[in-house]
Amino acid sequence: MSENKHIVLELTEVSLSYHSARKTFDRGRHHVLKDVSMQLYDGETLGIIGRNGVGKTTLLQLIAGILAPTRGQVKMHSGKCASLLTLGLGFKPDLSGRDNALLSAMLQGSSRQQATSFLNDIKEFSELGDSFTEPVKNYSAGMRSRLAFTTALMTHVDVLLIDEILSVGDAHFRGKALTAMQSRITGEQTVVFVSHMADQVEKMCDRVIWLEDGHIVAEGDPGEVTSAYAESVARMNNDNVAK
Amino acid sequence: MPLLHYLRLIDIMARMGLRADATRFFLGYIWWILEPLLWVGIFYFVFVTIMGTRGPDFLMFLATGKLVFVWFSKSVTQASNSIIGAKGLVGKINVPKTLFPMAVVQEGVYRQAAVFVMLGIILIINGYTATATWWYLVPLMIVNYVVIVACAFVGACLVCLARDFAQIISLGMIFLMFTSGVFFDVRALDPEKTKLVLDLNPIAFLLDAYRQIMMYSTAPDMLHLFTIGVGFGVLLCVMVLFMRRRSQYLALRALTA
Repeated sequence: MSENKHIVLELTEVSLSYHSARKTFDRGRHHVLKDVSMQLYDGETLGIIGRNGVGKTTLLQLIAGILAPTRGQVKMHSGKCASLLTLGLGFKPDLSGRDNALLSAMLQGSSRQQATSFLNDIKEFSELGDSFTEPVKNYSAGMRSRLAFTTALMTHVDVLLIDEILSVGDAHFRGKALTAMQSRITGEQTVVFVSHMADQVEKMCDRVIWLEDGHIVAEGDPGEVTSAYAESVARMNNDNVAK
Repeated sequence: MPLLHYLRLIDIMARMGLRADATRFFLGYIWWILEPLLWVGIFYFVFVTIMGTRGPDFLMFLATGKLVFVWFSKSVTQASNSIIGAKGLVGKINVPKTLFPMAVVQEGVYRQAAVFVMLGIILIINGYTATATWWYLVPLMIVNYVVIVACAFVGACLVCLARDFAQIISLGMIFLMFTSGVFFDVRALDPEKTKLVLDLNPIAFLLDAYRQIMMYSTAPDMLHLFTIGVGFGVLLCVMVLFMRRRSQYLALRALTA
């Protein structure tokens, strides 16, 4: 299915490592990704699955151009831009939700007018009501994530990178967030979706990559890859119980 | 990022920073005026009331030196920590890394504007007159700003490379304060030493120039001022190029070091 579509993004044998301050790992060298090659096709929803700390977020940061690979090549085609949709875009706790939302939108490239025009939608969707003009430091954790999710949702980009954001707020808001997310994903939008939850990935993605310890273990049909991943997690749990 | 959008962002981040700062304190924006006034009050208490040997001239001398020096030291120290302080943002969007130190410097500019107005008023109240020579303040302030931005960029990059630089920078500021003639008159030293201090330490030259203009209505050495401006201007351009080229590297350092 994906083969006859345009490639928007290509990673060729990408590795990323860095020196950590403490001399652990390989003489202080920490390898996050090792020889990862992958393609992203126009309009698809690609899932990246794996346990915590296997390099999923780093992979997204490479795709978004936030980080550069130590070796290998990240190639984004034909002037497309990718944006990382993630929770809590560096909120300033002393500023109101409104100011934080405005700043987030502007940092992601919206003009002042565009950003201001988003504000009403953000206020409405996040259901923050009068709290929208209160300092974020007075928000509950749920309110914060609602604001973060909504602000992120308003950005429009060619490639949307989503990092574990569907675990926000209470059940009611989570349902609403999921619907909003799905309506964006099912359109023409190209999406890379990161999660450690197999069922979410299986439901939403056209293709799945399973990442383990910095490299790709399996790639392909969502059903197959996610069930293989789920099995490996179950096996690991059993091993732990056995020990 | 288009230049206009970049400048708008700096302005809006600076203003939001100021607003965030103001909401943290009961007295809010009043601190802009209160802080420099308290400095002058402390100097008055220590040097006039306790030591008793110095007149109001020395008080104005101290106020001018200290309030100008604080603009430099506060901006550079805070800007040095600005990229790692914005770690949350740096890991989520690919923005020019100069944005963070620039926003901090801009915050300082808005604050310093109020301080300069205050300083002018205090000087005039104390019998100094604002003459046409005060126009020399315009090029002086521009050069001062260029020096601050260049140092802010250098500091921000160094702290990204190793956090230890944050310690060195704050110690360096204390060293600079004692060697830039905040508390003593560089012109009261041996003539050779005066020349040495003014030639080697651009901050000492800038502080002296403010005093020469505002207290003694004397034009500063424009060639010297121009040289400092060009030197730090070149440094600034080099830093901008470096931070653009190595944006991802700085992000990695900020996120992992």
